[in-house]
Amino acid sequence: MSSLANMLQQPGALIECDDDPEAVFELLCAHGWSDGLPVIPPTPERIERMLAYCDRDLDQAVVKIPPRFGAATPVRIAANAVMAGCKPEHFPLVLLALEALAEEPYNLYGTQATTHPCTPMLIFNGPIAKEVGINAGANVMGNYVRANAVIGRAVRLCLVNIGAAIPGTGDMATAGTPAKFTFCVAENEDNSPWDPLHVELGFPKEATTVTVVAAESPHNINDHESLTAIGVLTMAAGTMANTGSNNAYYAGQPVLALGPEHAATIANGGMSKAQAKQFLYDHATIPLGKFSQEGIERRFRRKLADQYANATLDTLVHMCAKPEDLLIIVTGGAGKHSQYVPTFGNSRAVTKGLKRLDGEWVHSIHELKRG
Amino acid sequence: MAQLTKRGLIAAVVCSDTFMKLGSAQAKVFGVPDLPLLKIQHPLGGISMDKVRERAAVALPQLLQLLKEKQS
Repeated sequence: MSSLANMLQQPGALIECDDDPEAVFELLCAHGWSDGLPVIPPTPERIERMLAYCDRDLDQAVVKIPPRFGAATPVRIAANAVMAGCKPEHFPLVLLALEALAEEPYNLYGTQATTHPCTPMLIFNGPIAKEVGINAGANVMGNYVRANAVIGRAVRLCLVNIGAAIPGTGDMATAGTPAKFTFCVAENEDNSPWDPLHVELGFPKEATTVTVVAAESPHNINDHESLTAIGVLTMAAGTMANTGSNNAYYAGQPVLALGPEHAATIANGGMSKAQAKQFLYDHATIPLGKFSQEGIERRFRRKLADQYANATLDTLVHMCAKPEDLLIIVTGGAGKHSQYVPTFGNSRAVTKGLKRLDGEWVHSIHELKRG
Repeated sequence: MAQLTKRGLIAAVVCSDTFMKLGSAQAKVFGVPDLPLLKIQHPLGGISMDKVRERAAVALPQLLQLLKEKQS
């Protein structure tokens, strides 16, 4: 393993700058190494501190990030985590998220370069999410809580600075999304009536996982009136079904992030998560005739000919290929709101668990501390 | 296309002008920096078949020229 000191001896590893926050910010912006917001200067001392919870070789690529296929070594990731404002305890979760994003089913290459406004939504489950302070309650998808802000931001900075997802050249998003600054949540497991996402997917409850989804911005579902499971789910289905969504065309995995009060209404009606998914699959639909004539002819009849070549205009288009493709989590605080998160579509959600090098689940982040 | 080029075949990518920077950057990433990009006007998606034919008419001479150069 190379020491950080040795790595910093390499040409170009260090850039000198006035010891002034504005000067550092100007320099980083001039190089295109920021997200447009001020950053913490990634000095060698700060990078070394950031790596306190890293159990990997510092100079070995953990993943390669397209479209540049830049080598994401722990040192490079740490520099971006410093810039984002991470604590060292956040670092293993940033690294875990990048590992999940690099798995083939996620299609990181496609999601990085596409014109579609997608970005990684990071959904954390398990004890470490709570230990490092990832918000799962009020304003969960909004501002204010550091862990949510900086973990998602660090991932985005890595995608730009290591992967070269630079708007207009490597990231061809037509408009992008404000979620590209950060989109990081934890599931509100304490206030969910069902098994959390990672348990549903076969992980033990004690595991800490990240599930990465190529997400659009969330869309609110306001329902203060429904008193039944069918009522809440009918409102959700109506919000999910829209003609401009990639989920109408691709076999993607959109996310329904239920507020705890909506989830309770559904569960109190006797409905399991699987039954809720089935209902939403059946009811979040769009009659083929609601799409534009050109859309019907060019996309449905030709590109999706196996399903729609001779379909009548009242044929229902579903928002996912099968009920289990829909991801349901419970997150957020008090109130009668839930969120629907459409996705890129041509991407699968990937879930990865946080393990020690000996293969055991990490029960506390401090198990990963060096030395 | 990068793999085809590396196998010695003549290969090229049709690329709209807006995507030329991405195309040339990706050619470098995949180890074929000289991969020919046949430039057409953006966009290619969401246009009529007549407009698609117009773009094909722009790309075809570039392809023929490429074949001549590579075979000479």
